[in-house]
Amino acid sequence: MSALWHGALYGVAIVSVMLAITAVGLWFERKFAARMQTRVGPSLVGPAGLLQPIADVVKLLQKEDIVPAQADRPLFDLAPVLAALCAIGVAAVLPLSPDVIAADLDVGLLYVLALGALTTIAIFLAGWASNNKFALLGGMRSIAQAISYEVPMVLAAMVPAILAGSLSISDIVRWQADHHMFALWPIVPGLPAFLLFFLALLAESNRIPFDIPEAESELVAGVTTEYTGMKFTLFYLAEYVHTLVGSAVASALFLGGWDGPVAPGLHWMVAKTLVLFAAVYWVRWSLLRFRSDQLLAMCWRWLVPLSVLLVLAAAVLVQLFPGVL
Amino acid sequence: MRHLRDALRALATTLRNVFRPAVTVRFPAEIRQRPARYRTSFALLHDEHGEELCIGCLQCERICPSQVIAITQAPKRESKVTGKKRGYAEDFVLDTSACIFCELCVQVCPTDAIVMTREPDAPTFAREDLVLTMERLYANEKAKPPSWANGTRLMGMQEAPKEEKKPKEKAKAAAPAPEPAVQEAAK
Repeated sequence: MSALWHGALYGVAIVSVMLAITAVGLWFERKFAARMQTRVGPSLVGPAGLLQPIADVVKLLQKEDIVPAQADRPLFDLAPVLAALCAIGVAAVLPLSPDVIAADLDVGLLYVLALGALTTIAIFLAGWASNNKFALLGGMRSIAQAISYEVPMVLAAMVPAILAGSLSISDIVRWQADHHMFALWPIVPGLPAFLLFFLALLAESNRIPFDIPEAESELVAGVTTEYTGMKFTLFYLAEYVHTLVGSAVASALFLGGWDGPVAPGLHWMVAKTLVLFAAVYWVRWSLLRFRSDQLLAMCWRWLVPLSVLLVLAAAVLVQLFPGVL
Repeated sequence: MRHLRDALRALATTLRNVFRPAVTVRFPAEIRQRPARYRTSFALLHDEHGEELCIGCLQCERICPSQVIAITQAPKRESKVTGKKRGYAEDFVLDTSACIFCELCVQVCPTDAIVMTREPDAPTFAREDLVLTMERLYANEKAKPPSWANGTRLMGMQEAPKEEKKPKEKAKAAAPAPEPAVQEAAK
């Protein structure tokens, strides 16, 4: 019974905190993008436009819920919910501070990667169920991209797992707290693996330069073409939460999570996550989109071999030179 | 490698921009200085004796490229001010919903009766509000500040340069009258 209470309380807390941060993140992205283009950004709704996300969501909720006549209705309804669930669910195993963690799984890393990959299923479901060529093409591109980028992402995530000797995220963070963060030392598998993981994260959450599943100039809006109102909001939410949670995972695996001087652990975890979150948007508003074939070529010809080498380096380090760690 | 360098340059550019002041002019609160010949609407004018300047000659109706001016001529009658016989317009309708703001009607007006106005800041909520009836046009005379141009000034710019004895000074004489300094935007 207490376990149930524990889960329910953490569930409510995590979901509400995630949604709140996502709302602020939306505002932040629009402001940040505006500053990069020397604009002002949202400024009329609330102080400094802070209430803009609320206005956006209220607008989206008021929209008519349109379902295409030939759509596969159950799948069409399921896909956005599944996408949002998969994105938020990852937050369950994130150690927000030494004591605050909803579910300290032994195989937390595996759970994160599996749930992250499941988002692709939701996206493809949406593409298939919409009965729309653009949505289907977007879904197919999404699968091609996810299959490719899952490989370097998993291999890059294996580097801290091998170095720390555990698949539990809280163990990995604790190891870093006892020693040093993996992005800094050992520098050879650590830093490249961090960059690789960040790159794969961009691809996983369909951000520029890897947003070909929803390339506006080619596919209208990709899988979300036929979605309106609340369902579209859920996709939108899933995308932001995915980015946010992915940043949190990256900061836990490579930047030491809650480990930091002076301030409490929760502050460090949030600060590191937000820095990565901002970096995602920095990249998003600076670069152009890859072509599909360029994307796959880069992945299979460069990133996959590189990540295999990094895993090899980590294993060699742990087995032959444990003193370096 | 080249692509990586370009990507880093793009990232540097956007990062630099973050710390630059915004170039945005926050429009309703802050209005940029508008040129003297900024023009948005129309007005019909009265002369100094309070008589309508428009003589209903249909010149503007005929030249209008989008044919948005419709004039009903009134029969000629004696002016109350001068006592001479002259024409009047009984009705004058200008539909700005199709107007291209070319100012040709202002240019051809022989009596400088029609001018364009500078007042910009009132978008309308109904299409009917875009149709300027005679009452609205005469109300605009007082309600909205006029633009620089009127018929005489525009025709003056079109005139051939006056023949001078010394051909060298031709260029100077040909220069059109300088436009007035840019007026401050209204309010």
